[in-house]
Amino acid sequence: MSHTQDKSSALGQGVVIFVYLTVLTLLEFFVAVTFQSVSILVVIAIIKAALVMYYYMHVYKLNDASEGDEHSYEYKTGTNRLGLWLFLLSDAFVFAGLMVVRVNLLGFTRPHLNQTLGLVVTAVLLISSFFMNRGETAMAHGDKKAFMNNTMITFILGLSFFFGVVFVEWRLAAEEGLIASFGNPSVGPMGAVFYMMTGMHAFHVLTGLIFLAVVWNNARKGLYSAEKHWGVEAAAVYWHFVDLVWIFFYPALYLIGKLVN
Amino acid sequence: MKKFVSSALLKGLLWQFIGILVGGGIVEIFRVILPDSEPFGPFGFSEPAWVLGGFLSAIFFLVGTGVTGDWIKWARGIDTPEHHEEHYSGWEKYVNVSLDHKVIGIQYTIVALALISIGGLFALIFRTELAASGLQFLVTDMKLFGQNGPQLYNTLMSLHGMIMIVSILLGISGIINYVVPLLLGAQDMAFPRMNAFSFWIAVPAAVLLLMSLFLGGFDTGWTAYPPLSAKAPVGMQMFFLGVFVAGWSSILGALNVIVTVVRMRAKGMNAMRMPIFVWAAVATSIIAMTATQLIGLSFQLVMFQRLLGMGFFDPAKGGNPVLFQHLFWFYSHPAVYVFILPGLGVISELLPVFARKPLFGYRWIAMSSLGIALVGFLVWAHHMFTSGMNEYLRVPFMYSTLLVAIPTGVKFFSWVATLWKGKISTPTPMLFVLGGIVVFLLGGLTGPPNATVSTDLHLHDTYFIVGHFHDTIFGGFVFPFFAALYYWFPKATGRRMNETLGKIHFWLMTPSFFVLTFGMMYIGLLGMRRRIADYDPALGFDSTHLVLTVAGYLIATSVLIFIYNFFNSIKNGEKAEGNVWNSRSPEWQVPSPMPMHNYDQPFEVVGEPYDYGLEGSKYVEFAAPVADKHK
Repeated sequence: MSHTQDKSSALGQGVVIFVYLTVLTLLEFFVAVTFQSVSILVVIAIIKAALVMYYYMHVYKLNDASEGDEHSYEYKTGTNRLGLWLFLLSDAFVFAGLMVVRVNLLGFTRPHLNQTLGLVVTAVLLISSFFMNRGETAMAHGDKKAFMNNTMITFILGLSFFFGVVFVEWRLAAEEGLIASFGNPSVGPMGAVFYMMTGMHAFHVLTGLIFLAVVWNNARKGLYSAEKHWGVEAAAVYWHFVDLVWIFFYPALYLIGKLVN
Repeated sequence: MKKFVSSALLKGLLWQFIGILVGGGIVEIFRVILPDSEPFGPFGFSEPAWVLGGFLSAIFFLVGTGVTGDWIKWARGIDTPEHHEEHYSGWEKYVNVSLDHKVIGIQYTIVALALISIGGLFALIFRTELAASGLQFLVTDMKLFGQNGPQLYNTLMSLHGMIMIVSILLGISGIINYVVPLLLGAQDMAFPRMNAFSFWIAVPAAVLLLMSLFLGGFDTGWTAYPPLSAKAPVGMQMFFLGVFVAGWSSILGALNVIVTVVRMRAKGMNAMRMPIFVWAAVATSIIAMTATQLIGLSFQLVMFQRLLGMGFFDPAKGGNPVLFQHLFWFYSHPAVYVFILPGLGVISELLPVFARKPLFGYRWIAMSSLGIALVGFLVWAHHMFTSGMNEYLRVPFMYSTLLVAIPTGVKFFSWVATLWKGKISTPTPMLFVLGGIVVFLLGGLTGPPNATVSTDLHLHDTYFIVGHFHDTIFGGFVFPFFAALYYWFPKATGRRMNETLGKIHFWLMTPSFFVLTFGMMYIGLLGMRRRIADYDPALGFDSTHLVLTVAGYLIATSVLIFIYNFFNSIKNGEKAEGNVWNSRSPEWQVPSPMPMHNYDQPFEVVGEPYDYGLEGSKYVEFAAPVADKHK
């Protein structure tokens, strides 16, 4: 891994991007509660996604086509990176498909959901991405301790997001009448879309958490270094991808469209 | 025998069985604990129990075979060697987990042949039933696996479709896996473990699909449209699970192919000097890697609708059944290009070898493969002209569909120009290539009437569609697949398949096939509905149906001859260790069968791949003269 930035400027960049993302998220919320412009919300989501892809997921590293020995760690990392991104592209088709289902079935309506909770879980996931970035940057500079601390924070925040959605939000939604009752989950499209989208995303959060736990444990064993830490990079990129999906799902479920009971 | 019992394959199947019991057991225990539930359904378990059992069974299978072993070690921080020593020899290699792409390619091919036989057998059963009007043996008062005769007809007809589709996906994976790394000069695929995973996950998928036959079957056809699929027996769920799991095989396999082609080409092999088959493999992989997710998603949504009452496609709850068709066809139309593109690649790859002339318009063929793949994403709703979707969608989808004819036409033009004034020889592989071209042309010509709205409204759901589809798939997959097997068989085994039997295979299959599809299209035009077990004798189709059935049996006979030839030639075939076909391709420049880690010496690409007959032209140059070393 070549260091294109020194450590402090890389960490500083992470902070700046985090501030941008926070401001954009708040702006998004403000637009939604005031004048409800779908096009502005879509544009904001795309900008946020672009920021995450470039500065947190480092999509440009795909261009680091390392020449030379096919058996070197660097060359293999380049191969692995391409594989991971293609996997994410494939996975994105699932989420895009769910988005199509949402647009087709719900159109310009949205379910009655707890707005405060929605904003809180979104913030939690965003902050977790911030710490993930700090963790990866630390590892890229060989700072194992900082990596483990930051990853632990990411893990806890991710777990909170998962609990917030599955154990709090799902129950609140049930009370709002999105499903008939817990024992009888027979639902119309509104509930079906809500549970399917959040459920599919939560499943990815869960796999991301497992991934984080694995790399944390392997870092503890001292298996990563500044030069060799593909596992860390993969876990980080995957975690940011989970955040990226939520960047689109949050407005789709909470912000866009008229409330329907 | 003892070696077979302890093989990964049998271990996996045993674990799969345990997985069903565990998953089903968990659900049934919950159902007993929860109030107001009857724990056991008509097939032992209740539906949710079968679903969880089926899902866990696939995972148990994979863990049981040990294909995930290295990943689990990595997760625990244990390093493993890049390549494993091969523990097995002979046939044992093929029933155990191997990371060698050549072994995996052959494993894929064998399973594909097995599934083709099963799917073909199903076809013969219902084809026999159709030989005359009235119900012959699939009668209403019989009962098998909880289904009466016509229901069994529906199940067999539906499974014929999906089993054949899975066998095609495995067949193309087999050829691609075996050939692409050899053509690229790579030691293996980019991700050997994922490659093995992609193969082994297809085995439980096939088991799940076949299980649906015994669990009440299903009567929707392979398309599984709701609302019918929301009400069909439990077999429907096993069908959904089987396709879902098989989808992962396809997705991960395709991902592997793309990464391999991007990262592992030999020195000097730039994009325009890649063998043409590699272009086809990439184009097909782009579709398989992305669009496959949508069929998985659409089936998943119906599964949840059935299990949890989520009303995605239930109009009574406000859902939209047409949405399912959009999601489904977004994969399932491009899927037919997944089936045919590798086959068309095989045709383009073999034609210059047997015509002894440069391939005409290399760049155009390469780009037309990508063109078909990309346009393929824009045509899905031509399956839905009669579905009740918005009418304004019909015309754009009609034109986008007709657009596919352009890149396909480019290929035909180039093939004809390649053959023009060539020194054509016709050993068995070339016969199948030429047969494939003619049959695919018929499939192509019968396509536009289906794509055009005005004619499709009449042709929709008739035997014309069945005839057209079988033409495209035989021309685009079956013929080239056989050509590829005859062609690369010596590379894999060091022996040739018997020429006489090969020719009998071809000359028996091809005319029978023409009779079959022409007959289908003929009665289709006259109004024969597809997917029905019986028809009115007053329609006057009895004699044609009888001929179709006889043709079907003749095709089956020819395939049996092939299978005998295939397995017999492994041991008894004529020795062929050199460049049997006098090809320029790198894999034929070294002796057969291919050694374990492919090329002993790396090669460099120094010229154009298909300059046959040009004095002094060279495609590849090996670092050291390997041929001498082995003499």
